[in-house]
Amino acid sequence: MALIPRSLRLATLVMPSVLRAGVPRACRVSCLHTLAVREPSTCDRSLLQQTKGSIRNYSVKEPLTLDMIQQRVLLVLKLYDKINPEKLTVESHFMQDLGLDSLDHVEVIMAMEDEFGFEIPDGDAEKLLRPADIIRYVADKEDIYD
Amino acid sequence: MSYLQTQVISHTRKVCSLYKRALRNTEAWYDSRPMFRYRAVLLRARFEENKNIKDLRVAAQLLDEGEKELFSLQHYQPRQFPHSPGGVAYGRVVEPPDWVLDYWHPMEKAAYPEYFARREQRKKEYIEWWEKTYGKPVEQSH
Repeated sequence: MALIPRSLRLATLVMPSVLRAGVPRACRVSCLHTLAVREPSTCDRSLLQQTKGSIRNYSVKEPLTLDMIQQRVLLVLKLYDKINPEKLTVESHFMQDLGLDSLDHVEVIMAMEDEFGFEIPDGDAEKLLRPADIIRYVADKEDIYD
Repeated sequence: MSYLQTQVISHTRKVCSLYKRALRNTEAWYDSRPMFRYRAVLLRARFEENKNIKDLRVAAQLLDEGEKELFSLQHYQPRQFPHSPGGVAYGRVVEPPDWVLDYWHPMEKAAYPEYFARREQRKKEYIEWWEKTYGKPVEQSH
């Protein structure tokens, strides 16, 4: 008899964290320029799969690898309405290939700050002209090398 | 961010910096995202208005006015990133610098022989690289 309430309590303990893990990350980034609710994309789902395992993580940082950083950077850029997602690659130049101006670049850098949760100073920001540079910068900052 | 300017900062970068600070300030004032987006679009339009001004004197004056306006509108408690200066977690975790490892007691070092052997190797390589790139350090008389 005592088993049933206990398992129920366990279930209620476990459930919120499972639900929380299920919230699509897109809702954090999609506010960049438009408020339209978007379906989580496929790369977003695979990101969730990787972060889903733990139940209590004691405020530890989300796991990051170079691949995940790349997916997150590209997702933020794809959701930006001035960038054509079909032309976007890791090596495309923001000004020359994607046709952004310097103020758009500032907005992109601010979106990256919001996504990864740290400040990028102006001096560094003006050198981050390709998605690859941003990925490299974030990886250096978070000390990730594989 | 420091108070001492040690390099020439171009006008474009000053404008971009002003735009970024103004956007962050707007974000601090309007916590509802739709309201913030509306204000951000208005702000962007004000910057776009003057983007074709070629006369640097006028441009510098506009920039100055913008800085003054931003100063007069600044938020009393701007939102900061947790690990930025002013953020809630700033300086919470103190990471000991790398050189501390060199001052470990030999007994402590002996517990990790492989690591410290490789560390010594890397130090030698670094000194070699330095001397190859910048030349031998010159002995200076005091």
